[in-house]
Amino acid sequence: MRIINLKKQLGRFTIDIPYLELESGCIHGFIGENGSGKTTTAKLIADILKPDVGEILYDGLDSRSITMTAQKPYMLHTSVYENIIYPLKIRNIKPNEIEIDTMLKKYDLYEKKKQYARSLSSGEQQKLSLLRTLIFKPKFVIIDETLSNLSAESLELFENLILEIQKARCITWVLISHQPHIINELCDTVHFFANGRLIESGKKEQVFLYSQNPIVKTYVQRQVFGLLKER
Amino acid sequence: MDIINEAIQVFTQAGIGDAVRVTLVMAVCSVTISSFLGISLGLLLEQYHFPGKRIIIRVNHTLLGIPPVVVGLLVYLLLMRNGPLGMLSLLFTIKGMILAQIIIITPIITSMVYSYAVNTAPAVRAFAVTMGASKRQTKILIVKEMKNEIYFAIVTGFGRAISEVGSVMLVGGNIEDRTRTMTTAISMLKSQGIYTEGVTLGVLLLVFAFILQWAAESFQKRELENENY
Repeated sequence: MRIINLKKQLGRFTIDIPYLELESGCIHGFIGENGSGKTTTAKLIADILKPDVGEILYDGLDSRSITMTAQKPYMLHTSVYENIIYPLKIRNIKPNEIEIDTMLKKYDLYEKKKQYARSLSSGEQQKLSLLRTLIFKPKFVIIDETLSNLSAESLELFENLILEIQKARCITWVLISHQPHIINELCDTVHFFANGRLIESGKKEQVFLYSQNPIVKTYVQRQVFGLLKER
Repeated sequence: MDIINEAIQVFTQAGIGDAVRVTLVMAVCSVTISSFLGISLGLLLEQYHFPGKRIIIRVNHTLLGIPPVVVGLLVYLLLMRNGPLGMLSLLFTIKGMILAQIIIITPIITSMVYSYAVNTAPAVRAFAVTMGASKRQTKILIVKEMKNEIYFAIVTGFGRAISEVGSVMLVGGNIEDRTRTMTTAISMLKSQGIYTEGVTLGVLLLVFAFILQWAAESFQKRELENENY
């Protein structure tokens, strides 16, 4: 997927990306401070927002195979089960009940299968949202901070799930996260955003260790310091 | 027991039962048509941006506050024998009363649906895009996700329809067995000094209103109680 001369104005905020290539079959990380343009770029890729100028070349990807989950995911006004099967329903795919039950059990949602989805905790809603996103086997997945409220145990399960899917189907992922260990453990490449612009792209080691950009350096130092402080 | 017996007697009297029937027919028909118009217009106004949209919204808001008796007068002038729609012979008929009610209720439903849609639809639309829903599936989902609010708007419209006096009095003419509604009957009974029947009809109207409000609130409450903020 390639983004060429993309511009989008949202109030006083402008996204301006001259060029961005997201290699297929890789896990990409979007990093940067709050309000740097990560989510807006992701929304443009997912077709939630339309660009004012420029284009996104999907290179054969069908828009129905691109999906995105948010930090505060939208929950349908119905049960956990109905939420999970929604993407299947709109594709006229009969849900595999055994598969769904196994999945719900694995992620501790089986007991809440018939519960009203909006009554779940924020972490559980994020889990549900991730499962709902992955159930229809998309080819391009954007995870916008959806791993932020998960417990360490759940986080590990989902990290493993992402890696398992990646190994089996080699799809493209974009992870937006402020948690450096997630980016470090999962991503192949990172793209650094600041003030609505993409200021650095490359292999994660290259960006984290050798970037000469002062904004990137400051951000990385702060994140590393935060990690050390946590330990 | 005397009060109940008296109430039963009132309802079995000729004319009162008809007033209840006329009220319900008028309210159900006008609310059905207004709901179709109001829900469609509310959702269209939310979804599309076009020149004159703000004016339509303002006009709609203005119509919310228009006195029903003025609507009644306008419809009367339209439907009177020499009026532009006189050839339809709708004056002093239930159909004429329904027309007046539609003009009163549609802006209420439109305004409520539009306000809810502005807050709800963008998030539903974004979600639907990420799930790969088609345009048609997205529209269905928006309506489904707003079902409580839409129901509430319809109930509000129905409450307004059964309690309306001014416009139905002018357009319907309060003709016994034909266009006399519960409210116009109460008004007439009061002017004749027949208070028992008037109060009984009033209580019945209150019961209708209570049932509708209770149903609407319990519908909303059930979801609000379950929501995790």
